[in-house]
Amino acid sequence: MTANADQALLPAGLQDLLPPAAAQEAGAVERLIQAFRGYGYDRVKPPLIEFEDALLAGAGAALAQQTFRLMDPVSQRMLGVRADMTTQVARIATSRLSRAPRPLRLCYGGQVLRVTGSQLRPERQFAQVGAELIGSESEHADAEALIMAVSGLNGIGAEGLTVDLNLPPLVAALAERLQLDAEVTQRLRQALDRKDAAAVAQLAGDHAPLFQGLLRAAGPAQDALDDLFALDLPERVQREADRLKRVVALVQAALPDLTLTVDPVEHRGFEYHRGVTFTIYARGVRGELGRGGRYTTDADGGPWEPATGFTLFMDSVLRALPEPAAPARVYVPHAHARTAARLRTDGWQAIAGLVPEDDPAAEARRLGCTHLLKNGDVQPLDDA
Amino acid sequence: MTAANENLVLALPKGRILKELMPLLKAADIVPEPAFEDDDSRQLRFSTNHPNLDIIRVRSFDVATFVAFGAAHLGVAGNDVVMEFDYPELYSPVDLGIGKCHLAVAEPNDLVKRDDPTRWSHVRIATKYPDITKRHFAARGVQAECIKLNGAMELAPKLGLARRIVDLVSTGTTLKANDLVEIERIVDVTSRLIVNRAALKTRPHDVGSWVERFREVADAA
Repeated sequence: MTANADQALLPAGLQDLLPPAAAQEAGAVERLIQAFRGYGYDRVKPPLIEFEDALLAGAGAALAQQTFRLMDPVSQRMLGVRADMTTQVARIATSRLSRAPRPLRLCYGGQVLRVTGSQLRPERQFAQVGAELIGSESEHADAEALIMAVSGLNGIGAEGLTVDLNLPPLVAALAERLQLDAEVTQRLRQALDRKDAAAVAQLAGDHAPLFQGLLRAAGPAQDALDDLFALDLPERVQREADRLKRVVALVQAALPDLTLTVDPVEHRGFEYHRGVTFTIYARGVRGELGRGGRYTTDADGGPWEPATGFTLFMDSVLRALPEPAAPARVYVPHAHARTAARLRTDGWQAIAGLVPEDDPAAEARRLGCTHLLKNGDVQPLDDA
Repeated sequence: MTAANENLVLALPKGRILKELMPLLKAADIVPEPAFEDDDSRQLRFSTNHPNLDIIRVRSFDVATFVAFGAAHLGVAGNDVVMEFDYPELYSPVDLGIGKCHLAVAEPNDLVKRDDPTRWSHVRIATKYPDITKRHFAARGVQAECIKLNGAMELAPKLGLARRIVDLVSTGTTLKANDLVEIERIVDVTSRLIVNRAALKTRPHDVGSWVERFREVADAA
């Protein structure tokens, strides 16, 4: 290996984004934020690194194992590099913006870093874009978050989207009513997450038919809701199930072409969620494009507010987008600086020749241009 | 997305399980093209009587990987394989009830007599399932150093590679023939229908109807 190759090696899960991917990602982030601003969401920008205890408080605790730490020589306290931006935005809402009128609408975009990637999604650094709606209990808030996420993705060209709606508090509430002990509940939840019918049957004992019913109550939204409402649910869960039904109706009215599925037992990754949640998939794309749902801003005894929101994972989102079209770019031969400036104000990408060239067309081709300035005219290169 | 991915792909394991699986496939009205049952065929991908369903035939451990990464949408794999990889993207909604066996810890006969498992802090184990083994022993505070083998685990104790093994046991004849004794049962194993999570979510009708069909067949069997 040469010294050069050695320096080119990056740690696992980290990569250089090259043209055109880097521009595609930045453009997609910008357009998504722009779309969210259309709904009145203001952008905030939390820092990359925070005090560990603040970053991992409440909802952030779920990400403790995924967070890189370092020591701050100035304050002598431990710092964490953010592994997720949702908790930072919730912190902003409950501290510095605690007096801003509710409901508070905030959006954000930035890079996060995680200690490990998964085998399926090895990225350890990736961009997150998201929005949070804080201080409203209404099902219209849940619907707004979901509709905004899907419309935003459609707006940047993502196709074949599907949204899976879930009800994470359901299993815990059922287990409580059935008086299952903590260890069985934990194992049951794991089995339900894997849709492992055999393990569910074994763990749930006498209640197996109920839980198997829940497993089967997953699929296209309308069928799944019918199955779910046929079950005898505890009151607290029934309220959330009613809300789920209303959210489905609102989303179907707003986005009639969207494929909606409902899976009442899905729980993975929704550890801190308290109500209706959703995951966005795209047909033929591995992994999730984004996820979101209802939570409370702080669970640790402090002041709390109902909130809902979502996060999009830009590495997965980019996989769902069509290849970016090569930009139209014009080569302006040496000593035509003023024409180049005029072309740029007209919206062209204009590359100026820095030294006199013998064959401007060949030079234009070598630099990957699509057009050439010739006799004062911009001409497509094929005919030039 | 390529057109080739539009067809649903069902990944099936080569070997022993496949024989037990054939009647279930038949009951589910899946008839592979003739080359599928020809052991000499080099073909890897097969069409079926359903124009939008293809079958691939791969090693049993690879079934889980193909399905987890979405290269195949459905598959048949033992829960030993599913547990070993523990891919979050896998669902196993149907227990097919075939390929019954269990995963066990075994050691040589003469070792059993003087062994006291409660005193273990570290064990060396030859296995095809390093992850399950490590988790199993970690849960009771024992560190397991695993030597990964792909077959013939029973040779390991005799040749001094590792004194204990973790392997699938169905009748126990192989253990006996090699003078080994099962000392602990880790988990019961059967074959499951496994499904890629994103495939089930994004194609709820296509994939869901196959899950439903396999469930009916398994319940009837």
